[in-house]
Amino acid sequence: MKHEIQFILNGETRTMAVESQRTLLEMLREDLGLTSVKHGCSTGECGACSVIMNGEVVNACMVLAVEVDASEVMTVEGLAQDDGLHALQKSFIDHHGVQCGYCASGMLMSAKALLNRTSRPHEEEIREALVGNLCRCGAYADIIKSIQVASRARR
Amino acid sequence: MISRKPHVIGKPFPLIEAQRKLTGVSCYAGDEELPPDTLHARILFSERPNARFHLRNVRKARRHPGVVALLTGQDMTTRLGYSIEDRELLATSQALYAGQPLAIVAAETPAAAAAALALIQVDYEELPKVLSIEEALTPGAPQVHPGFAGYAGADKLNAEPERNVAHAQAFIRGNADEAFAHADAILERTYTAAHLQHAPLETHGGIAQLQEDGELFMWLHIQAPFLQRKIISKALRLDPARLRIITGCVGGSFGGKVFVSIEGLLAAIALHVGGRPVKLLLNREEEFKGVFISPAMRARIKMGATRDGRIVAMQAAYDWNVGSSVDADLFNMQATTLAGTGPYAIPNVEINTRAIYTHLPPTAPLRGLSVAQEHWAIEQHIDEMAELLGLSPFEIRQRNLVKGGDHLFPHFTMHASGLATCARQVADAIDWRLSAPVLEEEAAPEPTGRGRGLAIGWSPIIFADECGSRVIIHCDAEHICDVIVDGVDTGQGLFAFVTQLISFELNMPVEWVRVMPTDTGNYDPSWLATYHNLLWSVGHALLKATAELKHQILSYVSESWQEPPTNLDIVEGEVISYATKRRLSLLTLLMEGVGEGDAPPVFEVTATYRPPHTEDGSIDGWLQFFTATAYAVDVQVDERTGNLTILQMAAAADVGHALNPESVRAQIKGGMIQSVSISLLEEMIFEDGVPVSLNFSDYPIATTADMPQKLHPIVVEVPQQSGPYGARDLSHHVQVGAAAAIGNAVYRAAGVRIYDLPITAQRIYDAIQARRQARQG
Repeated sequence: MKHEIQFILNGETRTMAVESQRTLLEMLREDLGLTSVKHGCSTGECGACSVIMNGEVVNACMVLAVEVDASEVMTVEGLAQDDGLHALQKSFIDHHGVQCGYCASGMLMSAKALLNRTSRPHEEEIREALVGNLCRCGAYADIIKSIQVASRARR
Repeated sequence: MISRKPHVIGKPFPLIEAQRKLTGVSCYAGDEELPPDTLHARILFSERPNARFHLRNVRKARRHPGVVALLTGQDMTTRLGYSIEDRELLATSQALYAGQPLAIVAAETPAAAAAALALIQVDYEELPKVLSIEEALTPGAPQVHPGFAGYAGADKLNAEPERNVAHAQAFIRGNADEAFAHADAILERTYTAAHLQHAPLETHGGIAQLQEDGELFMWLHIQAPFLQRKIISKALRLDPARLRIITGCVGGSFGGKVFVSIEGLLAAIALHVGGRPVKLLLNREEEFKGVFISPAMRARIKMGATRDGRIVAMQAAYDWNVGSSVDADLFNMQATTLAGTGPYAIPNVEINTRAIYTHLPPTAPLRGLSVAQEHWAIEQHIDEMAELLGLSPFEIRQRNLVKGGDHLFPHFTMHASGLATCARQVADAIDWRLSAPVLEEEAAPEPTGRGRGLAIGWSPIIFADECGSRVIIHCDAEHICDVIVDGVDTGQGLFAFVTQLISFELNMPVEWVRVMPTDTGNYDPSWLATYHNLLWSVGHALLKATAELKHQILSYVSESWQEPPTNLDIVEGEVISYATKRRLSLLTLLMEGVGEGDAPPVFEVTATYRPPHTEDGSIDGWLQFFTATAYAVDVQVDERTGNLTILQMAAAADVGHALNPESVRAQIKGGMIQSVSISLLEEMIFEDGVPVSLNFSDYPIATTADMPQKLHPIVVEVPQQSGPYGARDLSHHVQVGAAAAIGNAVYRAAGVRIYDLPITAQRIYDAIQARRQARQG
């Protein structure tokens, strides 16, 4: 049975009819074509599908699509601004916060949610905010640096 | 906006690949927008190791609604392999390992594919199996490959299949047996390293489609498309000219996406669905059980030294549990044999490297050709040897270090290297004064829980037979300069390097250079591109190509200007004449030509680089040089729990010349974190041959919580005369030394030596308990 849901995705109101078992990950990737939301494990362990839901980071594979009814969801597609890349994206490029890049979208979302809460996070806070986002290349140090520099640039 | 000033070699250069990866542009496995007629494939994996099996209800599964094709080993007897065909594409009647593909289905929906496979019932008749090196080598043990002699390529290996030895290599210098008689101290130890999972975040997957003209297209996310084209076309008896592999972004490979795993099955099923596109994407559990694991190691080392600290003899037996396939490991057999002494000039040496077949999944080395695992043994051994001789870890290494000019192998004399500098700098970085003959830590009567450890390493840059690099640069009005290289950017920064080099050599803005996806269709079908050490190989090919391209451009303009080409140059995107001061923008040249009525020119060059080598079959025939590394760590061990905290970690690598220094440091830092993960956390666990590590909870990899508190990446530059701009490759050599440095630090911190990787808290705790009991007893 399909359920009609309405939610705000990257600032735009969307109405979708979804099966009750469909995950937010499947809806975003497959029905809405948002390829930034990566599929890594389906069990909430890797963080590749991290998106921001009502201000909090969630693993889209662990949320049912019906749960986002009346919610606000943000993905990397909503991060870039009219004048180009978001400060976080620029900083990841400048400070080598990307190697293979598969974790990058999830990292950006966790970073964005952190910066929404804390404008100048300490290194320890950043480490904590990223603990659910795996990076097999081990690029954590440069990801943390990218986020720190971006947070300073925003001021 | 065009930046007029080209980025130069040795200065910061942005990662050009990064932007699309940070904006969510579709480029990884599973991202592709699928045509509506796309089919979804799924694989049935064996649940048991070494078992005769029978598939029931196959016909019922084939008739399941939505199923378009279903293949089992009964439909095709196909062997797979590059050097040795020691695998079956689909098991025909006997599964050698749990996780071996038994069937593949293509259906209208993923759900239909899963439902069809669920109908198939597998009856297993289990046979005696061997899982460890010891079991496999026991006389009378079951033979993993009784049909070995009949496999294509078997004659090229030095195998004893009846003893489960897939391949053996040896290197002998001097006479170790005799030299031991003159040694004052002899130390013998055994070390092991566990099977690992490459665990890329992007699982294996791709799309294949048979075209109307009979060409098979594959869109894959792999490290070695040219190697895979060879393997797949040979297995499926396709004309390699009719198999085209286009490579998208690679979301992590680490050696796990080099040789063919599921790609051969995808190709096979795509030939049976009437030209419809087929998508295959593994889920995480399938990724853990259905592709490659890394070979596990057992290293037995015997070393003899004189009182003055000279190592006079070394015997080392490196045995690798290669599971059921050695095909992807032949290269690391050679690398670990060459690196088998560690970076030491030892006069009497006997290195024996063996690959041992077992009933485990096929293996492929995880980043660094297993040299990092080998150094886990060597570099702990050296530390224990130092203690035996009353020397500091630094002294023993310095007294025996290999030096430039040392003649090591038949064709190879050691080059200048930053080994000693790396060792000094990592120690300095963690404030460890290693020059003192006796260390403070050793003077302490009891371990304090805090300790520091050092390890150094070397890793050979070798190439496989037939391998080279070829690049194509095409410049015209539409594209300015498009480049196609035969190597793949797996996150190591290859495409940024390509852009940097071309813009530097042609002195033009980086924005004019575009690196195209790696595509075998642009190359002749016999070509085998090298898939690692790409800075070296692709770099040399690019230097040839840019020189030729510059010559073409200047010759063209000189003819029109009626000036000798030697008067001309390209400076900041313009052709200029030093003699007449004429200038012409390259853009104008490409858009409009040189003069009135001139047709816009097109320039294209193809350049090939083959590494120098000798074909006399000697072990160093394809050896180019060694990359040197060093690690120093400062750890805290909680003696009550065995918990280990890495307070500081320093890693140095001699890259010859850091062409993109931030990128080099990024690789070193990433290598440190991945090393911590491999050294402390990772182990593929099998119960009775069945993998039980099937997700990131049971197979944890390092998170930000596991990071050392402080990282010190150090770049050392002792130029490699033969390298592009004096540079050496780094990315897959960067982990060499890390594990042993941690092991050595644990010993100094807690007084216990761990001989088995990973260094888990449990192992430390058990060793501390054993030490206490031994004292009380």
